[in-house]
Amino acid sequence: MDTLFRLVNLQQQHYQQQSDQSNSSRTSSSSKSSTQQNQPHHAQVEECFNFFMDEDDFSSSSKHFYNPYQPPSTTTTPTTTTGTPPPPHDDLNLDFSGNWSTELLLETAKAFADKNSGRVKELVWMLNELGSPYGDTDQKIAFYFLQALFSRMTDSGEQCHRTLTSASEKNCSFESTRKTVLKFQEVSPWTTFGHVACNGAIMDAFEGETKLHIIDISNTYCTQWPTLLEALATRTDETEHLRLTTVVAGGGEAVVQKVMREIGQRMEKFARLMGVPFTFNVIHHTSDLSNLNLSELDVKDDETLAVNCVGALHAARRRDSVVSMFRSLRPRIVTVVEEEADLNFGSDGFEFVRGVSGVLERLMLERAAGRAVVDLVACPSDDSAERREPAARWSRRMHGGGFSPVAFSDEVSDDVRALLRRYREGWSMAQCSDSAGIFLSWKDQAVVWASAWRP
Amino acid sequence: MMKGGGFQVVHGVELIQPHEQWDCTNVGFENNCTNMERNELSMWVDNIAKQLIEDLPETSTESLQTDTTMVFEESIVPSTLGESRPRKMTKRSYSCDGSGSEQLYCSHQLGDQTNLSRLDEHDLSLITLLLECAVAISVDNLGEAHRMILELTQTASPYGPSCAERVVAYFSKAMASRVVNSWLGFCNPLVNHKGIHCAFQVFNNISPFIKFAHFTSNQAILEAFHRLDRVHIIDLDIMQGLQWPALFHILATRLEGPPHVRMTGMGTSLDLLVETGKQLSNFAKRLDMSFEFHPIAKKFGDVDMSMLQIRSGEPLAVHWLQHSLYDPTGPDWKTMRLLHDLAPRVITLVEQDMSHGGSFLDRFVGSLHYYSTIFDSLGAFLPSDDQSRHHVEHCLMYKEINNILAIGGPARSGEDKFRHWRSELARNGFMQVPMSGNSMAQAQLILNMFPPAHGYSLVQGDGTIKLGWKETSLFTASAWTSHASR
Repeated sequence: MDTLFRLVNLQQQHYQQQSDQSNSSRTSSSSKSSTQQNQPHHAQVEECFNFFMDEDDFSSSSKHFYNPYQPPSTTTTPTTTTGTPPPPHDDLNLDFSGNWSTELLLETAKAFADKNSGRVKELVWMLNELGSPYGDTDQKIAFYFLQALFSRMTDSGEQCHRTLTSASEKNCSFESTRKTVLKFQEVSPWTTFGHVACNGAIMDAFEGETKLHIIDISNTYCTQWPTLLEALATRTDETEHLRLTTVVAGGGEAVVQKVMREIGQRMEKFARLMGVPFTFNVIHHTSDLSNLNLSELDVKDDETLAVNCVGALHAARRRDSVVSMFRSLRPRIVTVVEEEADLNFGSDGFEFVRGVSGVLERLMLERAAGRAVVDLVACPSDDSAERREPAARWSRRMHGGGFSPVAFSDEVSDDVRALLRRYREGWSMAQCSDSAGIFLSWKDQAVVWASAWRP
Repeated sequence: MMKGGGFQVVHGVELIQPHEQWDCTNVGFENNCTNMERNELSMWVDNIAKQLIEDLPETSTESLQTDTTMVFEESIVPSTLGESRPRKMTKRSYSCDGSGSEQLYCSHQLGDQTNLSRLDEHDLSLITLLLECAVAISVDNLGEAHRMILELTQTASPYGPSCAERVVAYFSKAMASRVVNSWLGFCNPLVNHKGIHCAFQVFNNISPFIKFAHFTSNQAILEAFHRLDRVHIIDLDIMQGLQWPALFHILATRLEGPPHVRMTGMGTSLDLLVETGKQLSNFAKRLDMSFEFHPIAKKFGDVDMSMLQIRSGEPLAVHWLQHSLYDPTGPDWKTMRLLHDLAPRVITLVEQDMSHGGSFLDRFVGSLHYYSTIFDSLGAFLPSDDQSRHHVEHCLMYKEINNILAIGGPARSGEDKFRHWRSELARNGFMQVPMSGNSMAQAQLILNMFPPAHGYSLVQGDGTIKLGWKETSLFTASAWTSHASR
């Protein structure tokens, strides 16, 4: 590691500016003396920091600046705000009212791609100063992204991934999971978009059918189903029975089993309320999805089958096998939701980070946070459980597996648009041009893809 | 409580008019230490760290010192590091595999000194991991350190119920920051001065240390300015000037009337200084005291005599409350040089009893000991969800921890920081003025305002007054005079 040190002293530079009475100390200083500085006199300040931290930036006039310290809420999960840090110079045009971290990440990615090392250092410095593992979402994202970057640079990605996995599993609980997911859904349509679209397609496919079976392979902790149960309860067709078989990835650890049991109990209760005859099953699945034992799914001939796959396909290694496995089940419909990200670029290019913007936010809130980021950025591609593909690629796979796309009905599209109107400005829905399905876009950047297929 | 211009004057703590002569030969010794319990966490940390360091192949342990004992032989308690060494154990015992029993086993082996009944398994494993991480950093094994930091930050929380966990959380974050700084090759912490001033005020309200510094120093200044009619005070880092209203009040009520007071306030932002100056001027006006204020937004070491507008016939007091939030003075040698040139009538110095220099591991162990103690003192009477406590821990303590770990030391800052200002002053032609009995009385009065008074330890000796928690000294107040000024 390059361990040259130089104290870049903000105050010193600031005083210099004040005494010079000019703002022009932005001299380029690209010298990198490698000797340790033991003389009392300091060398010059690096150029990149000249525009930062004028004391005047911290004037009391702007509401973005120093916030009185906000105490944590009384929940035990450390997802609460610590004192908000002051934002840097307007130069970067960061909007600190929300999502500053993702913009910072994108800037960093861009600087990497442009091989602009001076800029990268600036941005890494900012991430380091502003990030925190104990703060709000943005602060966490900044922190974990930085850690992932570091892991990658030092090739310690896999170790970090393992560390984070074991650490976070110790902290998991039903309550915290539930809160996290709900909070996330409150804040963005990230998951609800897919839910609404898929439920719509499934309901269309279930029209006129009474014996229903849904195989659910998702990472949203069954938050999709209450709405579907409601729809079943209020539709004109009778529902003789609904079976929901949830496939949960992971090691089947005690804590996950416990969480799923609680989820199951709540689902059953809700179904009773809705008056829908309902059975809930959980399959804990340890290895790759393609190795799933189909007999465990217990698919019956007289049932109408729907396979719902939200955010789970990308975790599978042998994706084509998974698709053909779905085909072999002879479902009426298969709904697929994936985050849109073109992440299979070369291992050295950081272009993939561009596609990760929203992904990181989602991951933070899922408390699989650091782990996934580290995996994404730092682990070698074949081991990654987080390698996402763009919609076009998934579409080709589905086509290849013997499926053809089912368009979402107008009604479903209307429902989705209505959903998006409930959230803040910037979210929109778009039809895919080069593949089936629809996109959820944030500021015209496609972030989530939802599609429906039939054999 | 009288309010004046935004400041509060606390009547309960009147400064005592000096009766005794200005006598430098009086070196009293009183031991007001009232604590009984050992600071378990800190002691255990010291022992474990010592062991881990000894296991390192190349580092020497001679450099390890804690400043709690530098000047003071019959101190509150001698440094735990110097005492009976723990029996040498194999390295295996210290590996953190999350097995609490292993840690507890270690602790019993370390002799009777430690009684870890208050620390649970969780805390113990966290601290052990933290120490291992520090050792990794000290040998530049950043990859390994990084992995441990990730685990630490996932498991320790600054909102945790135990002080130990909070300390670990903040130290872990500081080390994470340091790792990135090492990677970048420079370090430049973001400083929000307004935020710091605010947090400082909160700290002033919930803990006696700041008031201790203010009132003992004010007493020493008062005694030095006995019967003078013009005085000049330079506050090297005035912040919001919380200290001065109390002094003005007592000066204004002197029998011979108030002197003309000129104050030079130094700090980082001209705007903030001007604001402070306004407040102080208003206050002085209310007291009918003739007052001028000069703000200088520069570091003391970077200033020259002409900027300070020294006037003859105007005795000078220089006041410095040291902290680790940022660097208010610049290179130490420059500061010393200016002090020498100024030849003040009195220099009031309040130091943190912690070394800012030395190797990373030295600073790490020292600061862990130091901040654990402060966290303990806050946690002793404030509940874990107390807002003020969080504010201070997050906005003040963490900033200091970060600075000490990330910057400190000549390898990174490019300059040699004095380890111990008192010794340096003594070596550079300054003469110590022992803190008087009245200063001690002031300190005692302050303590009585803060529960639980029994946890704090106040000790006078060697001409200084030290305030600490349990047996760890945290701040030392002393006063000095330039030979030339006499």
